[in-house]
Amino acid sequence: MTIDRSIVGQEFDRTVFPPVTAEDIRTYASAYGETNPRWTTAADAELTAPPTFALCLRGNHFMPKQLPRNLGRSGFDAGKDIEMGVAVRPGDVLTGSSTVHDVYEKTGRSGTMTFIVFRTTVTNQRGEAVAVVDQKMMFR
Amino acid sequence: MILDLHAHSEASEDSRAPLETYLKWLQRKRDLLPIDGIVLTEHRQWDPKTDYRALEDRYGLLVLRGAEVETDYGHVLVYGVNDDITRRFDFTNVRLPAQEVITEVARLGGVAAPCHPGRPTIGLCQHYESKPPLEGVIAVEALNGGSRKGENERVQAIIDRYGYRAFGGSDAHLVSLIGICATEFEEEVRTVEDLVGALQRGRYRPIDFREQVRAAREGG
Repeated sequence: MTIDRSIVGQEFDRTVFPPVTAEDIRTYASAYGETNPRWTTAADAELTAPPTFALCLRGNHFMPKQLPRNLGRSGFDAGKDIEMGVAVRPGDVLTGSSTVHDVYEKTGRSGTMTFIVFRTTVTNQRGEAVAVVDQKMMFR
Repeated sequence: MILDLHAHSEASEDSRAPLETYLKWLQRKRDLLPIDGIVLTEHRQWDPKTDYRALEDRYGLLVLRGAEVETDYGHVLVYGVNDDITRRFDFTNVRLPAQEVITEVARLGGVAAPCHPGRPTIGLCQHYESKPPLEGVIAVEALNGGSRKGENERVQAIIDRYGYRAFGGSDAHLVSLIGICATEFEEEVRTVEDLVGALQRGRYRPIDFREQVRAAREGG
């Protein structure tokens, strides 16, 4: 599988999300059994989102249009790296900017694999970095 | 002198192990793992600027660097990487011609040695079933800490047949696996040049610490 590396660095999605609500934060926290009060039962003014909250954001495009259309049929999620920034609070308006961060090949016991790393940088309404999420997808 | 000749730090995309944590671990486990140093062999890359001398001094352990490249005969460890070698080969290419890597790395002052030869697809043994043997191989990683049952055992046949020397490495991607397989040298190794020379001279053997690590873990 050959993927044109000229797509690396190109922004393929920019999404401004609706303001984060206290309910959004509590729902996310409870979904994985979080019990820390600051992420669950704190008053709205004190509530902050768990550090991985940015993972629940879904932009308008998961992949750039330049990628082969049948890629999704042969790939799977190969993990995420998250660099966490400032805390998310109710009322924050988050923006996600997604780029192809890297494309590389590797060989393993099962053969040659192509990895694409999609990087989404999430900022809040003050332009502060909330998170940088590197989502790896593996294709063969 | 005992060195783990095959380890990956967080510089490799499939490892999360910081070098310093490896060194802390080895310092703490000194009684169990008498390792004098490690060789970082990151996947498909070489960064000439990294300098680990401060960490070496802090932990009293030798840290050398090589690389793990990918070829048409499987993965190959390259020791003694220099500018000539990185100009000659694109380490990100997963289809490097193995014969050229073996021959040219030797000509340019290094040693290229196939690793985990017993693994399917990326190990030398499987390729030898359908392709001619490589010329100029002096040693193979006969003992690899990341191999599955039966994979290390396959290697002895090509060692016997072709007279390769054998060495060992943990292939650690996780901190707790560093040093579980290694190489004992009869001579002192302090630099990459020493390592290349020692590998060429052949006075070393693979050494396996997996059983005693397992026993210590089970014993609490």
